[in-house]
Amino acid sequence: MQQAADTQYVIEARGITKSFGGVQALRGINFAVRAGDIHALLGQNGAGKSTLVKILNGVHRAGSYGGSIAIAGQPASFASPAEATAHGVGYVPQEIEVLEQLSVAENVFAGHTGLGQGVIFYRRKLEERTREIFDDLGLDIDPRAIVALLTSAQRHLVMIARALALRPRVLMLDEPTASLSGTEVDSLFGVLRRLRAQGVTMIYITHRLPEVLAVCDSATVLRDGQVAAEIAREDFDEERFIFAMSGQKLSRLFPQHVAPVGAPTVLEVRHLTVPGQPGAIHGARDISFSVAGGEIVGLAGLLGSGRSEILHGIYGRVPATGEILVDGLPATIRSPRDARAVGIALLTEDRKRDGLLFNLPIGANITIGNLEPLSRHGTVSGERERGAVLESMRALNIKASSPQAPVAHLSGGNQQKLLFARVLMRAPRVLLLDEPTKGVDAATRLEIYRLVVELAQKGVALVVVASELEEIVGLCDRVLTVADGRIVDEFRRGEGGEDRVLRAAAAAQARNQTSALSGVSP
Amino acid sequence: MNSAASATTQDQAAPSWRSRVIGFIAIGEVGVIAALVLLVAFFYFVQPAFLSERNIRAILNVVSFVGIIAIGQTILLVNGEFDLSVGSVAGLSAVVAAKLMTAVALPVPVAVLGGVGVGALVGLINGLIVVKFRIPAFIQTLGMLFIGQGLIQLVTAGYPVYPLPPEVSAIGTTSLAFGLGWSFAFFIVAAIVADFALRRTVLGRNMYATGGNQEVARLVGINTSLYKIGAFVTVGALAAVAGMFVMADLSSGGTSIGSGWELTVIAGVVVGGVSLFGGAGTVAGGVVGILMLKVVQSGLVVIGVNSNWQQIAVGVIMVLAVGLDILRRRYFTVGAGARGAKKATPNKSAS
Repeated sequence: MQQAADTQYVIEARGITKSFGGVQALRGINFAVRAGDIHALLGQNGAGKSTLVKILNGVHRAGSYGGSIAIAGQPASFASPAEATAHGVGYVPQEIEVLEQLSVAENVFAGHTGLGQGVIFYRRKLEERTREIFDDLGLDIDPRAIVALLTSAQRHLVMIARALALRPRVLMLDEPTASLSGTEVDSLFGVLRRLRAQGVTMIYITHRLPEVLAVCDSATVLRDGQVAAEIAREDFDEERFIFAMSGQKLSRLFPQHVAPVGAPTVLEVRHLTVPGQPGAIHGARDISFSVAGGEIVGLAGLLGSGRSEILHGIYGRVPATGEILVDGLPATIRSPRDARAVGIALLTEDRKRDGLLFNLPIGANITIGNLEPLSRHGTVSGERERGAVLESMRALNIKASSPQAPVAHLSGGNQQKLLFARVLMRAPRVLLLDEPTKGVDAATRLEIYRLVVELAQKGVALVVVASELEEIVGLCDRVLTVADGRIVDEFRRGEGGEDRVLRAAAAAQARNQTSALSGVSP
Repeated sequence: MNSAASATTQDQAAPSWRSRVIGFIAIGEVGVIAALVLLVAFFYFVQPAFLSERNIRAILNVVSFVGIIAIGQTILLVNGEFDLSVGSVAGLSAVVAAKLMTAVALPVPVAVLGGVGVGALVGLINGLIVVKFRIPAFIQTLGMLFIGQGLIQLVTAGYPVYPLPPEVSAIGTTSLAFGLGWSFAFFIVAAIVADFALRRTVLGRNMYATGGNQEVARLVGINTSLYKIGAFVTVGALAAVAGMFVMADLSSGGTSIGSGWELTVIAGVVVGGVSLFGGAGTVAGGVVGILMLKVVQSGLVVIGVNSNWQQIAVGVIMVLAVGLDILRRRYFTVGAGARGAKKATPNKSAS
């Protein structure tokens, strides 16, 4: 009886818990997928989706988490992704990982065995098998084509074919539409429906509601490391999903801040257009908004919506067109250098890649770019530099053994505060913050919120980009929702919450994918 | 929290002993100086003639030529690029200057300036192509190495340029002190100026930032293109100066001046702790590294080791030195690598 009940699930996880350091990422997740379903795994950034996926596909090895996994009713534990694959768990990652210089067929079978003898493989056989897979998918991709010549959508399909070549019991698709355009999404949905008709079970990981409504049969919504809702097809309803994803969190975390009324505009952006960069699908199109002194404006939106690109465009990090005015004066910004000259500062999202200089000690990391006032005739005054460094370390509560210590020895929170110290050294008029609390501990997060509010009280104009909607809604005086590179909604503090952002973003996506949605019936 | 705060207060008075030690090791010259002292002691122990006045003078003389280029190469490496064409540039500048003072009969100072100008121009071309067209420095400067060698043959038709005006030979034979001449004086002054510039000036700090992470440097407002091009010009001009001194030393515009120096220079500065990855190392370190290579070569000769073994020794030392450099870097960038991984994971995976 028990056995029979269990085996209707292709994959089943019971009571999964996982923590990193002191952070509890998953708190007892029960997750089960029925054979033949396309099962959605939904949740905001940070809800625990990726962690759960990494447990299911063996990236987090058995023993590093609590709870149990069963595949087709049989208990399973994976020591590596290869073992998960061997048990029939197929995984298609979000980022496209292909061997560009090889053919489609070689990519589909890269690393797989069984199609040759010893080191020799049969090209013809490879190509035949690949053609069969693509035929099953209803796709016309030449197995002999070199992958470098394919579009990113086609590459994504090659990766799906690669996972299917192993005949998995269940196929996990991680944000499969992240790099696809509207029509490409359509054709992907076609492929998924075809696979379902052939009896392939799929887990569809996403934070995009319209896609779930379009292709999925059942859904599990995660929030804060717990299952917030399990919803079956017949109960699919946008409101229900939004409620489950956003929940009812209290925003007591955030310091009180009231934007000054009638304060003069400090930053004005007119018709800013940022071309999409390789790797990002959308740039930003025709963005206009203004920020008053002392005001905190949030740019909310999903990953890849163009919110970071807006900051990069304002700061001159990437080429952009449009007008930027600071304190009413037009500014010509062609490089970060120009932006700094008019009092704009940017805190980048990726600390390790675009923030810290690992070859310089803590002190030099703070003062870099701000050395002029600390030097005489081009020579840095050791005493003045040390003084300035110690002052900002104290002001921002940066905990380090010494200003001479390597930045790599700092914790994530202290590294982030160091970068704040760097941008604040110039007393900017406009501060652009890209994910200011990404990867920092809870205590530092509070310190950063307090700091942001303090800066606003000093009259700085702040623009904040954050993936966590709770943060945007709690911290900002005004929220602009960005979707597909445009501002689609705007509201003031108190006029809306996380649900309003999600709804506006979902509506914008739905408009873009009307064709996909028209084929809702499964 | 409290202990950290008090540590910060302590630091306010003076950099703590601990931080001084960290800073000292971080400089990276300590190891190479210690190795140098040990090597000198070893060679002296085996063969006391190693520290004879004549031998010391010979070593320092050779070091002065290559060392002048090493200064430029160190600056360029700190900026995150490197130049393989320095030997060719030294030779080309020398024969151009020699031709200018013989065939064109220009006054010696003008001809010398012309030669240095050629070096700077080649550096400018290297810099512009690497920075503006994003051709890897390895390819661009390797190409320039061949172009330079070809130009030397074109300019000289394959024959050394001589006799040179007597002033030139005078520069080469003047002994200022201890039998060392103008080249050594120039080398020492240039090394001190460059070391100070890298260590203490805004210019130098910005160079470390540029070589450490070009995008970060750009984001904090540093004109990284200008710094890189400037560093290429500097190394070109210094290579030319070195070529000029060798020419004076030989009293002839020889076609083989500078041949093979590029690798000696890079090996030397790398041994001295200058990172091939950019953003780390000092002129003092680079210069000591060159000195150490030359000490080993000379020492092996003096104690009577087969000359083939000298090359082997140079190779082994270089690989060892770079290995140590990588270990040191790993220690200073743990956040991005091994040890930091534990701390970094939760943030990444929680999304």
